[in-house]
Amino acid sequence: MNKEERLIKRYKAEKRFRFYGKAAIFMALLFLVVFLTKIFSTGYTAFQKTWLVIPVNYNADLLYLDPDKKPTTEDINDADFYEFGIETFITLDPDASEDQIMELKKMFAFTFERELKYYLLDNPDSFGKTVDVKLTASDDLDQVFKGNYPRDIPENRRRASDYQLKIFDKLNEDGRVISEFNASFFTNADSREAELAGIASSFMGSLFSILVCLSIAFPVALLAAVYLEEFAPKNRFTDFIEVNINNLAAVPSIVFGLLGLGVLLAVFGLPRSTPLVGGITLSLMTLPTIIIAARASLKAVPPSIREAALAMGASRMQTTMHHTVPLALPGTLSGTIIGLAQALGETAPLILIGMVAFVNTIPGTPMDPAASLPVQIYIWAESAERGFVEKVSACIMVLLFFLIFMNLGAQLIRHKFEKKWN
Amino acid sequence: MNKIEAKNVDVYYGAKQALFDINMDIEANKVTALIGPSGCGKSTFLRCLNRMNDVIDICKVSGVVKINDYDINQKDTDVVRLREKVGMIFQKPNPFPKTIYENISYGPEIHGIAQSKSEMDNIVEESLRKAALWEEVKDRIHEPGTGLSGGQQQRLCIARTISIKPEVILMDEPCSALDPIATAQIEELIDELRKEHTIIIVTHSMSQAARVSQNTGFFHLGKLIEVGSTDKIFKNPTQQQTQDYITGRFG
Repeated sequence: MNKEERLIKRYKAEKRFRFYGKAAIFMALLFLVVFLTKIFSTGYTAFQKTWLVIPVNYNADLLYLDPDKKPTTEDINDADFYEFGIETFITLDPDASEDQIMELKKMFAFTFERELKYYLLDNPDSFGKTVDVKLTASDDLDQVFKGNYPRDIPENRRRASDYQLKIFDKLNEDGRVISEFNASFFTNADSREAELAGIASSFMGSLFSILVCLSIAFPVALLAAVYLEEFAPKNRFTDFIEVNINNLAAVPSIVFGLLGLGVLLAVFGLPRSTPLVGGITLSLMTLPTIIIAARASLKAVPPSIREAALAMGASRMQTTMHHTVPLALPGTLSGTIIGLAQALGETAPLILIGMVAFVNTIPGTPMDPAASLPVQIYIWAESAERGFVEKVSACIMVLLFFLIFMNLGAQLIRHKFEKKWN
Repeated sequence: MNKIEAKNVDVYYGAKQALFDINMDIEANKVTALIGPSGCGKSTFLRCLNRMNDVIDICKVSGVVKINDYDINQKDTDVVRLREKVGMIFQKPNPFPKTIYENISYGPEIHGIAQSKSEMDNIVEESLRKAALWEEVKDRIHEPGTGLSGGQQQRLCIARTISIKPEVILMDEPCSALDPIATAQIEELIDELRKEHTIIIVTHSMSQAARVSQNTGFFHLGKLIEVGSTDKIFKNPTQQQTQDYITGRFG
């Protein structure tokens, strides 16, 4: 082969290589776009909620209250709003049969009693009057309104009956079906009813778990890494420890879940299903990741800086604390964020320590039972109701947002630390 | 008067012996140059004088090194106090990634030399002046020291070292990463510093040794071949090896 041919071949090889590189990036982007499109197109409707606005007559007789006296808060709290609700629903179709009345009731979320009561508590002047009240539609009608339920399949295979649809369409024609931002998705805890289920419990659960995880894993990992890198003698024993830290990083997360179950719950008797236990379990999992990242960034600090400090008469401790650790911190922090992001998306160990439980209260401390975002996704994905499908995607969106937010924070911290010298 | 006396110094890196029975006296307030081919042990010897070899796990030092008649190789010698007295300049300028001011103030701070902010300001200015850097950086002493040129960085390192007024300054090929102009500035500075400090400089450049030093030691294969006044070593060496080296026959 002569020189000219070799040159042409070299150029071609480079061109091919560039093409492969671009193709690889294109593939990665394509996957990302497909994934995000799917999630967003399925999930965005979860941020909307369907309400039925119906005329309600807060008639004293229907509520068994004294019509001449303005009811106190106590009176309203004691009143029976179930029967009152049923009577109200009948006004939508005065000719309804017994079965049809039940169907009318099922058009609304089971919280209608509470919603009717709270409306009266908030607007005591409505007593004795007929007013329009906004009630949460059942998840079936919610899905019909959002177009997620086909209406043209046989009635016996449909969750919303012909009768319900007839009433619903009539309400819709009168402009009594409205769609608004679904605030309760963010403020409610989990519920068996899709239209009421929210992520508040799992969001707080995840937040507490991550905080517990961070406050345990970061200091322990940093100390371990600094000691191993800067102080420990290099011998067989430290080699052995190093190998084992690397092994620990490769242990499947479910094993840590078993450890949490067997030690934290069984031996130490910590409260089950709590972010405290979840956070400790996750910190065991995150620990090797942070140690490895911290050691790598400590190794990357040039030895000349250590020599400079030592030669100035700084002790080893001063050299480490004044120079080495601050310089290794940006790398350590980004390693920590990567570890935490992993922990945030972790499901298996949390299932084992009981954070998979149905929790319908919002945790106020890490000691309260809670779910976590990925486990919430898992729970909802298992549910049969159509209404949970969009919730799963919406929950994934929140989790992704959480992750992006964390990564952004990490970038900002890194940038702030590094900008000073470049 | 001898500032430093080294007696029977042996250094091992693991099983490999790097220095063989070094005996050398170093005079106060003079510049002593250590010359010799690469790997001859001159830097290793230099690092024996402030116990920087302690940093290397596999390095073992034996023998006696006396500074001001005190043996620094004793077990209970406090290396922090030793290095306060014996400063060191490295081959590659290694300022801290901090401001020029913080680079200088670090030493006085950890040794508790300055009592107040104004005292510290004075130390910083005085050190920079002595290192002939003040005029160039006085308007930007709160900017990063790593933003300076190579020669300025090395003078910053010198300023940092003299900020704690060491009695001895060790220089390990301080000009090998610098251009000729920066080198000339450093050499001038070395001559100035000799008044207050005892200086030991390792250099690859024989002309530099001849220019800056009063005494010279020639190392070869871990042994100190010859030591004496620079004049004598360069003009009239007693050893054949020294003669061969300075005339450029090997090394």
